[in-house]
Amino acid sequence: MTTELEQPDPRVRRLKGVVIRFAGDSGDGMQLTGDRFGAQAAEAGNDVATLPDFPAEIRAPAGTVGGVSSYQLHVADHDITTPGDQPDVLVAMNPAALKATLKDLRPGGVLIVDSGAFNVRALEKAGYDSDPLTDGSLSNYILHAVDLTGLAVGATEGLGLKRKDAARTKNMFALGLVSWMFNQPIESTVAYLEKRFAKKPPEILAGNLASLRAGVDYGDTTEAFAVSYEVKPAPLPPGTYRHMRGNRAIAFGLVAAAHQAGMPLFLGAYPITPATDVLHELSKLISHDVRSYQAEDEIAAIGAAIGGAFAGMLAVTVTSGPGMALKSEAIGLAISLELPLVIVNVQRGGPSTGLPTKTEQSDLLQSLYGRHGEAPLPVLAAQSPADCFNAAFEAAQIALERRTPVILLSDSYIANGSEPWKVPDVSELPDLGIEFATEPNGVGKDGKPAFHPYKRDPRTLARPLAIPGTPGLEHRIGGLEKADGSGEISHDADNHDLMVRTRQNKVDGIEVPPLEVDDPSGPPGFGSKLLVIGWGSTYGPIGAACRLVRQQGLAIAQAHLRYLNPLPANLASILAAYDTVLVPEMNLGQLGGLLRMHCQIEPVGYTQTRGLPFRAVELAAVFTRLVNDLEDGAAALSTEDIKAIGGTGKVGRSELGSEKNK
Amino acid sequence: MPYVVTSPCIDVKDGACLDECPVDAIYEGARKLYINPNECTECGACASACPIGAIMLDLEVPKPERPFVKTDKEFFSKALPGRDEPLGDPGGAKAAGKIGVDTPFVAEFQAAE
Amino acid sequence: MTSADAGGKQLTAKDFSAGEARWCPGCGDHAILNNMRNLMPTLGIPRENFVVISGIGCSSRLPYYLDTYGMHSIHGRAPSIATGVSINRPDLSVWVVTGDGDALSIGGNHLIHALRRNVNLKILLFNNQIYGLTKGQFSPATKPGTITPSSPFGSLDHSFNPLALALGAEASFVARTVDTDRKHMMEILAAAAAHNGSALVEIRQNCPTFNHGERAVTADTSVPTPADGPIRLEAGSPILFGADSQWAVLRDAETGDLKLGRSTEKGVVVHNPRSTSPTYAYALARIADTEPELAPIGVYRAVERPSFDNQYQDRLADARAGGRGDLQDLLTGNDSWTVPARS
Ligand SMILES: Cc1ncc(C[n+]2csc(CCOP(=O)(O)OP(=O)(O)O)c2C)c(N)n1
Ligand code: SF4
Ligand SMILES: [Mg+2]
Repeated sequence: MTTELEQPDPRVRRLKGVVIRFAGDSGDGMQLTGDRFGAQAAEAGNDVATLPDFPAEIRAPAGTVGGVSSYQLHVADHDITTPGDQPDVLVAMNPAALKATLKDLRPGGVLIVDSGAFNVRALEKAGYDSDPLTDGSLSNYILHAVDLTGLAVGATEGLGLKRKDAARTKNMFALGLVSWMFNQPIESTVAYLEKRFAKKPPEILAGNLASLRAGVDYGDTTEAFAVSYEVKPAPLPPGTYRHMRGNRAIAFGLVAAAHQAGMPLFLGAYPITPATDVLHELSKLISHDVRSYQAEDEIAAIGAAIGGAFAGMLAVTVTSGPGMALKSEAIGLAISLELPLVIVNVQRGGPSTGLPTKTEQSDLLQSLYGRHGEAPLPVLAAQSPADCFNAAFEAAQIALERRTPVILLSDSYIANGSEPWKVPDVSELPDLGIEFATEPNGVGKDGKPAFHPYKRDPRTLARPLAIPGTPGLEHRIGGLEKADGSGEISHDADNHDLMVRTRQNKVDGIEVPPLEVDDPSGPPGFGSKLLVIGWGSTYGPIGAACRLVRQQGLAIAQAHLRYLNPLPANLASILAAYDTVLVPEMNLGQLGGLLRMHCQIEPVGYTQTRGLPFRAVELAAVFTRLVNDLEDGAAALSTEDIKAIGGTGKVGRSELGSEKNK
Repeated sequence: MPYVVTSPCIDVKDGACLDECPVDAIYEGARKLYINPNECTECGACASACPIGAIMLDLEVPKPERPFVKTDKEFFSKALPGRDEPLGDPGGAKAAGKIGVDTPFVAEFQAAE
Repeated sequence: MTSADAGGKQLTAKDFSAGEARWCPGCGDHAILNNMRNLMPTLGIPRENFVVISGIGCSSRLPYYLDTYGMHSIHGRAPSIATGVSINRPDLSVWVVTGDGDALSIGGNHLIHALRRNVNLKILLFNNQIYGLTKGQFSPATKPGTITPSSPFGSLDHSFNPLALALGAEASFVARTVDTDRKHMMEILAAAAAHNGSALVEIRQNCPTFNHGERAVTADTSVPTPADGPIRLEAGSPILFGADSQWAVLRDAETGDLKLGRSTEKGVVVHNPRSTSPTYAYALARIADTEPELAPIGVYRAVERPSFDNQYQDRLADARAGGRGDLQDLLTGNDSWTVPARS
């Protein structure tokens, strides 16, 4: 447990922060357990960051390492940005869970295992030759072998539960026990369970509550757990807060945007991990005039969204990598039609089916360039679960204002992760309303007033939108090149060149906020020599690592990109002010290559594609090494150096298009 | 904007257009062929088939030939000489057979010397 | 009922004309366009409420020539885009224009799903049995053995029967007409327009450039020939054809299959497009497989089934009956907590 503070009550120890992981079989309810623990902690005023991890196969054989599902939380009394690198506490519900996750537990950490699940058959399935609970292999940890299953069954006795259902409440027993350990009130979980099981036979609720309470009592009365821990509330700025997952935040951001635009929200989607939850969330919100439509495939999903946009809806489509690939032709159509459309890509490991449940940020170049023809569109990335709200809202704002499809990138890490989110005051959200055309804006070939769909606003280059049903503005749009202004079909060479450049200028002209650098040691050029720049979900780990570096008294600068297209205007000048620019990415260096192309600098890449986010300590070690080298005047970090300090990524210039790889 | 058969057809009646019209909308008078403006789909097959260039879109008919726009219309909308009823839109020239008469304008038409 | 402009003036075909069509001379698409221009003003729908959405192909150029709202989209995807328009805007009359390649090949998936859902779309499938725009390759509607630039030794593909496919996809309105029969096409299109739900109309269309409808002529008088056609379907009437109604569609007493024969034989079929079972319409559609030149024209099936649009809109209306949900309530939820201002 990170650092221990003053200890007023000898039975309660105060902690700055703790990382806990619940691991079990995919049927053991670990996601629910983790989710509830996070919610309790957040309600108690802690800052919380979470990382669920699901098995890739929905029905991997029970009891095997492949079927392990886990949920990690970082609970702290200060503003945190990551779910933590190494758990301090691991709860393993069976041998497979222990096998899959023990390697991550901090040496000396607390290990709670369900001894009731450690039978010969289960050990064999998990691939153990001997019982780790008795063979001494866990001597490095503070081991609590508790018969969670047996105690849960005992706690529910007399409630009329079948033995199997009684055993299933063991996750609530574990939650009760861990809640006791960290001095957390369980009232909100009680209320939650009452709602969740309202439609189930009453003994199910009774059993779960009994186990939950029994878990708390067990901690209180058992000698083995002599000390419980407390994490002091984090000093969040005043306001109303809510525990928020990335995918839900995207859904809320879109609903808020539609509300502020005074338009219905229309979602065309086809289910795909890890984007599906956005479809689920939006499907519930019908009373907020959210129209969700599950299409026959991703092409039809974006097709319907394009139709909805033409018909005057705020249109959205949500998907992940394989779905993005299918949508690319239709995205080109939307660019040509110049209709507002938000395309959300919750990234996962690729190529092909890749790692459906694991995170990666390898679709950046696909988003920027994955279409035929010159097909520019704005690209934004969300940086944390709560930030997904603002990112989605901004994506919709740009789409509406500029009449363009916009790609919003998230990834599996922030989609499923959660953190406290400051609930915005709706009255303070900007107005996103746009005006549809109601009058002709030109003269037709016949000399009569006509609607010219490509007669643009001179400032924004946005075209006017006339929605079907508006008398006198009947017009046709389509993927064939159109004449500037009138929108008639045009094969004219000069016109095509003009339209290609105009579409590019429209996107380039979007006003993007200037890039801000976080460097307590001074402004660019006067403080740190090293700038670490990232995009998307690496924000948390990079920020945490920078803080660790600064705690050692070293100077380091951090900047994070919200806009990948267009890039902030001050980007090149900021990058030029540093001796070294380091770009950590969960890909092979896509942003690094982009910076080389746009800013004529030679960034250093630090990359990995392991399906997991960067660990802050690992990044901190890399950053520290680089800062020290720069002080010595020699920045020559190699992948071997990284291995020596326990890192897993690869160093070097971005591996894309670098000289070394030619 | 139907196609119209103009003066060069008079007393020539090559007939190449008759086989090309996909909707069988070209009717045969005594001196000239007539396109039913309601049945014509403006596909232009007749115009490209006509060896003497007598058929054109009504909007493209040159001034001296404008009366033929009117006469093609009247061939169907007014009772022809010797008939009580206008021809109307028979829905197919083959079934209607040769009409055998012309509008008064065509019947009296004298080619400029 | 007819359409009128804001000033009350009756609209005509001219008001629905935009630009000069650029198809080859003699192309059947001209006839379809002409009929659409004449039909639309008679439907009693304001011009601004028509939306015509097409895919890619010669046929799919049609929206450019109709002065309504329209979109020329991408190959095969028109039904999905039109779905997005239609389900959100019940006030609009949404038409899909597609070709046999567009609808049956690249867009086959979207077509069957639009029909299955019964989205309120009028789908006009221009069937010239060829890929016209790409210069004459065989399509899924091309007869096997056809020689085309991409099948110089004859195509191997078994062909789709568009009507059988639509019936299999549970379409609630299925009809066929031909480009050369103006009156018939107008009747069928009007019936399609009046149908609530998906209406699929196959329009047999001549492509004089790549697939001139050469008609086989046979001297054999013991079987019906193309010259005896077309076979017209009239609800409630026996299906007779030939100059003297000497031919008929007959039901084989043993197999229940439909076949062509003399009208004097037993089992002359009386046409019923409202039959609750699609089996009859399916059997009728299959006649085109054995007698391609005598494929019956008319409404094969027209049944009532709730449209996706109506159900979708009813849901929305129900959900909004209590007023639009409060955004602040949604965002705040019931699991939020307050961090007080520090003193
Ligand atoms: C994705 C894509 N693939 C291929 C094409 C080329 N293409 C254009 S039209 C067409 C076939 C059209 O055939 P059909 O739908 O029968 O229309 P027709 O031209 O016969 O009216 C093809 C293959 C395209 N435009 N887009
Ligand atoms: S190629 Fe065929 S289908 Fe296309 S315009 Fe010409 S005739 Fe019509
Ligand atoms: Mg075709």
